[in-house]
Amino acid sequence: MNIADRLLRKNTSPARIAGFVLSNFLGLAIILGGLQFYIDARSIWEDDDSFIRSDYMVINKRVTSENTFGGATGFSAAEREDIEKQPWVKRVAPFSTADYRVSASLMQEGRGLSTHMFFESIPGDFVDVPASQWRWREGDDEIPVIISKDYLTLYNFGFASSAGLPQMSEGLMSGIPLTLTLRSDDGMRSVQFHGRVAGYSNRLNTILVPQEFMDWSNARLGMGKVKDPSRLIIEVSSPGDVAIKDYMAAHDYEIGGDKSATSASFLLRVVVGIVLAIGVVITLLSFFILLLSISLLMEKNRDKLHSLLMLGYDVRTVGAPYRRIVILASAGAWVIATGCVFLLRAFYLPALKGLEAEPGSVWLMLTVGIALTAAIMLFNLLSISKKVVSAWRIKR
Amino acid sequence: MLPRVFVNENIPESDVWNEELTLYRGNNYLIEAASGGGKSSMCAYVYGSRVDYEGELSFNGKDTRGFSIAEWQEIRCRHIAYLPQELDLFPELTAWENIQLKNTLTNHFGDKDIERMLDELGIASRRDYPAGRMSIGQQQRVAIIRSLCQPFDFILLDEPVSHLDEVNNRIVADMIAREAERQGAAVISTSVGNPLLLPNAKKLSL
Repeated sequence: MNIADRLLRKNTSPARIAGFVLSNFLGLAIILGGLQFYIDARSIWEDDDSFIRSDYMVINKRVTSENTFGGATGFSAAEREDIEKQPWVKRVAPFSTADYRVSASLMQEGRGLSTHMFFESIPGDFVDVPASQWRWREGDDEIPVIISKDYLTLYNFGFASSAGLPQMSEGLMSGIPLTLTLRSDDGMRSVQFHGRVAGYSNRLNTILVPQEFMDWSNARLGMGKVKDPSRLIIEVSSPGDVAIKDYMAAHDYEIGGDKSATSASFLLRVVVGIVLAIGVVITLLSFFILLLSISLLMEKNRDKLHSLLMLGYDVRTVGAPYRRIVILASAGAWVIATGCVFLLRAFYLPALKGLEAEPGSVWLMLTVGIALTAAIMLFNLLSISKKVVSAWRIKR
Repeated sequence: MLPRVFVNENIPESDVWNEELTLYRGNNYLIEAASGGGKSSMCAYVYGSRVDYEGELSFNGKDTRGFSIAEWQEIRCRHIAYLPQELDLFPELTAWENIQLKNTLTNHFGDKDIERMLDELGIASRRDYPAGRMSIGQQQRVAIIRSLCQPFDFILLDEPVSHLDEVNNRIVADMIAREAERQGAAVISTSVGNPLLLPNAKKLSL
């Protein structure tokens, strides 16, 4: 170590530097750990449904014994208008139902399976699938279909195992040629198509076909019955809004899909938010600890700084020992914090995997850590330069 | 040029204050002053550590007020050597380290040269003593050697021999004159009664 460095490092307090490293490490570890846990765990609560965005919700009327015997569960025009007027609603669209009968059959290894089913559709811009995969034009023989994941689960674990049929993965199922027979209610007209499963949805409890196909087939096979839609899809401005819940309860409407998931993910976000806020406060405090201890150190060594500048040392050289402390201490705190996050992750990942979570990537955590550390370094380095320049002129 | 504190005061006749004065390389100057005459202020102005003066101070034809820190660092390493009255040694460093603090910056002398200078000024045995434990006279000699550890056009010595006897005064004067002559530089020394014994110094009163 050269003589000037040794002079300037006099009065360095290892305790204060250690205090900074410890508190900065704590703050960073809390921020980065919380962030990483959120990234890793969110898949448990948030089924990443690629077909429908999370700010869409599907509602229907609660089915009561009253409905079963005569009452309708359709939404009247007045009811739809009222929903549209709510401040949390961005837009509303009805589910269109098929006005004919559908049966699907699939052939596999010589064995056939046939079932009655139904179709529904919603306007194309509510479905989050590339237009090339979610399109039907008159003359196309193939119809893309989105089915509820629950149906596949029911088949695999309920039906297939008891009926001695093979279980099927999503990919396999999508590859099987599905023959769809559409027949009008009076049995006079029928058409055959091929179905292609375009995807499985957690949040749409239905069998969805493109709106264009629905309009065409209803015109072709329907009996002209006009029914009120029994389900509506709504785009809301904020899914967590309490007003939505109150409105639904007051009108006896149900929100389709897994409601508990939404509140759990909301809770997860709140908890992570609190944890991050605590981490940010600790990190900010640690930043001030470093700023103050370096300032204090330089204040104590101000005469030496001045004398060295008088001898002809430049601002860079006399600031170097302090810059080194700042860089080593913050980089050290970051390394330890990041190490701790990886350690923590090694503990919770097996448990999360047990809950069928898909762990996220660590890049965001690393980037945030580096950005925070760089910001702390930068501010401290700037303050060091300012302090050296201030020691330039007048001696106390 | 005039220090701001003197602006509304009656000051005695001076060759420096309120006058235009040019100092040239190759000459020797002795500035004699009474206590409180602004001698140390003048040195601080010339060396760029203070600017509380009225008037203009130019180095090489350029107003020094406009110099950046980097320009001053260049001047302090290559053009103006300075021995402050309070010496500005670091008491916790040894005589050798204090000298090396400057010499490593300029690489002006080899270790042998510095050892010879210490020997010449009779403080070779104090080489590894902390400066803070030396007598003022010894410290003054260490600081003189340190101020010589650079190329210079002017060497500014603020009461360089105030704590030295006549014998040592002559040895120091001889060493400084030799270095200045070798570089064609000017020696500017100040005194309040114990002047550096340079033979051909032009006397100025402050």
